[in-house]
Amino acid sequence: MSHILIQNLNKLYNPNKPNAFYALKNINLSIEDGEVVILKGVSGSGKSTLLSLIGGLSKPSSGEILVNHQNIAKLPDIMSSAFRHQEIGFIFQSFNLLEGLSVYQNIVAPLALTTLSKEAIHETVSRAMHLANIEHKKDQKVGSLSGGERQRCAIARAVVMEPAIILADEPTANLDKENSLIFIEILKKFKTLHQTVVIATHDTLFDDLSCIDRCVHMRDGEILE
Amino acid sequence: MFRKNFVEYAILLLFKDRNDHLFSFLIFSFIVFILSAVLFISDSLQYDLIRSINAQPSIVVENTRVGRAYPMHEGHVYDVSQMTGVSSVEGVVDGYHYFAQKRLWFHIIGDPSLAKDEMLIGQGVQKAMAELYYEEEFHFLTEERLIKVKINKIAPKGTNILSNDAIFLNPNTARAVLGMEMDEYSKLYVSVPNPNEVGNVALKIVEIYPSAKATTQEDAIGAVRHLYYYKGGIFMILYVIALVSFFILLKNQIGLVYGEKKKEIAILRSLGFCIKDIIALKFIQNSVVSISAYLLGVALAYGYVFVLNAPYLRNIFLGSELENSISLTPVIDINLLFLIFLFGVIPFLAFVILPAWKIAISDMSEAVKS
Repeated sequence: MSHILIQNLNKLYNPNKPNAFYALKNINLSIEDGEVVILKGVSGSGKSTLLSLIGGLSKPSSGEILVNHQNIAKLPDIMSSAFRHQEIGFIFQSFNLLEGLSVYQNIVAPLALTTLSKEAIHETVSRAMHLANIEHKKDQKVGSLSGGERQRCAIARAVVMEPAIILADEPTANLDKENSLIFIEILKKFKTLHQTVVIATHDTLFDDLSCIDRCVHMRDGEILE
Repeated sequence: MFRKNFVEYAILLLFKDRNDHLFSFLIFSFIVFILSAVLFISDSLQYDLIRSINAQPSIVVENTRVGRAYPMHEGHVYDVSQMTGVSSVEGVVDGYHYFAQKRLWFHIIGDPSLAKDEMLIGQGVQKAMAELYYEEEFHFLTEERLIKVKINKIAPKGTNILSNDAIFLNPNTARAVLGMEMDEYSKLYVSVPNPNEVGNVALKIVEIYPSAKATTQEDAIGAVRHLYYYKGGIFMILYVIALVSFFILLKNQIGLVYGEKKKEIAILRSLGFCIKDIIALKFIQNSVVSISAYLLGVALAYGYVFVLNAPYLRNIFLGSELENSISLTPVIDINLLFLIFLFGVIPFLAFVILPAWKIAISDMSEAVKS
């Protein structure tokens, strides 16, 4: 169960410098548990910044991000990292896989922070690989995968901890149409699993999808009404 | 303490980047090897020299004139033996003979147990003589005559460092070779049973004979230590090499957390690794590299010095013109090895952990987007 409430959120880059600018201005947003939300907008509209803040990758300049009534913006590093570890699954545009490792070794990374047994780890990773349909490539180095396979590996890693919230930043930007459609199929699975999903994209493929609950339009760091 | 899964993953990432770590590993092994080898050689030589000095009497007295060694007589032996605290005084014959054909100096030592026409020689001397086919006997060329002496025995290979260039002769033969009169001695060995009295007796000897030099065991050991003082000469050059290598190593260490590695830290942070986890990860990886490199460096140095007898370096340290065949006695100074460990491993870790910490605390959002 995970309800996200964002109140009066601002993000100022380069404060007190001539090139200071607001990436986000007075954002107010509520995302219900199990909701699939699309953040739409052109490059530089603040979508990725908003995802980073929800995921605790950076801190807001002011405002609150409440996840299940807990203000994650105020958490110390050790707690915000634990929150990210247990509650958030990130899917990045550039996949952000650890090059030189196999698919399995990439997906197992978040489990390095747990005390699970070898068998339990293996079972958990297998489940995630099955969901993302990448089990057949588990021993292959990620460097030798196609774009779509890399994306599925990143998805498996994002869901391996069974997070309540999945944040995807331009997930289809580096994919061809076929692989983008595969991603949408996986997105539908998330919906049936009642996972909260926030996707930042400007891909028109997401328009009018039945699994999308809401589309939030952004421009110049603001949410358009 | 570190979790098992975490340690295993840290090692997995270490092997992924083995090529990056290999350079640090090799450089660090090389530094530890150089420093340990120098340490082992100097400790071993000091140990042997000090052991030889300890086998000598409490005080060695030498007479000088115009700054050079000058013979002593029975009168000196008698005067010193009458001093309070002295148990015995032995006059010895000891000096250097120039072997002109090879341009070498042999250390002549009087040994009363030997017959007049026989001698015992060190390995270095034997090799030098054998090159000019002196295998059965040797001819000492003096101002007056040629003295023939049979080579009776050769000191076994690997014996004491001091015996390498030594020729042991009957004292009278030694006097003849060194051009001394039959009642002359080159040194007096003075035995003082009470160690607290040694300094006083040495002072008294110098008071009676102002031109004499009375060297106590303590002074002789001090001189040996000074000879192998770690800041001196060749040691300094080797330390400079080690220092330069160390800076190259540290530069490489810093590089291990920038560029691609910066992104890797950002990815791990996005997966839930906290700052402490990133530091722990780098700590584990670099501890494995530095400790294994340290152990390899020490093991290689041990093998090089005590198994292979330190080829090349040994001659620099011994400084003898004679070929040395001595075996270096295995002596290990644990304290100094620990110091090398401390001053090597800690900067090694610090130079990767501090930049890693700096990156880990920065805003990760840009790094994961790139």
